[in-house]
Amino acid sequence: MIPESHFLILSAVLFAIGVFGALTRRNAIGILMSIELILNAANINLVCFSHHLSTAQGSPEGLGQILALFVIAIAAAAAVVGLVLVLAIYRNAKTVFVDRINLMKW
Amino acid sequence: MSGLIHLLNSIGVPSSVLSEASFYVLAVLVCVFAFLVVTSRNVFHSAVYLALALIGVAGIYLYLNAEFLAVVQVLIYVGAVVTLFIFAIMLTARIHDQAIRQTNEQVLVSAVVTLALLYLLINIVENLPSRTGGPGTKTLAIGRLGELLMKDYALPFEVISLVLLAALVGAIVIGKEKRG
Repeated sequence: MIPESHFLILSAVLFAIGVFGALTRRNAIGILMSIELILNAANINLVCFSHHLSTAQGSPEGLGQILALFVIAIAAAAAVVGLVLVLAIYRNAKTVFVDRINLMKW
Repeated sequence: MSGLIHLLNSIGVPSSVLSEASFYVLAVLVCVFAFLVVTSRNVFHSAVYLALALIGVAGIYLYLNAEFLAVVQVLIYVGAVVTLFIFAIMLTARIHDQAIRQTNEQVLVSAVVTLALLYLLINIVENLPSRTGGPGTKTLAIGRLGELLMKDYALPFEVISLVLLAALVGAIVIGKEKRG
């Protein structure tokens, strides 16, 4: 039996990698990909708690899995809107590098 | 995977050892692919590694008895979201230009911050209070999941569909070419 903490550590590592990517990427599409990694880390946590708490007293059945489904739907919507925004910026500014997009800075 | 486990069972490897070992292999693979997503110089390669990492996460869901989520993960993430990313990359960046720097000047600071965050998170995980009652063994049947979505959580379910509709309309409005 794989202990609960190993799933949580995997999720923490995935989250940290996603944060690192979001902080260091210059490409706006790369930042969006890192955010998808972060959301997946959160999903692993939700499903893990749902699985390991299912025998505890008073825990709602399957709530973690349903929350994870909602997170997947929200992530898909976020990806769609984010990518369309990147395309709109690219059309106007001819770049996807976030350090070149400084129209609203100073 | 069950076929492989059955095959290895027949030559004397107990299935519990096998499935535990394959979990750790899968976890390391997911981490390696995720690391390649954030460090690869070519954005197109990043998208492909992202697809592989997401398939790995679907495998992790199988270990948590969440078969339906694993299927949804492959369908929506790998089938739709990564395809969308690849389209966006094709429409914007000069992907074959290796000379373009893909990271900003904050790599060192970010690495320090990220490692500190990881240390904190792992500290929290290891100090979790122990609970009575082990993990559930029975899987949540797909029928029961649908029942929960349509009865207990019907309102959030409808709100999610509204959010998706709004995102769809918003994407069309923002993405539309302005004429005249």
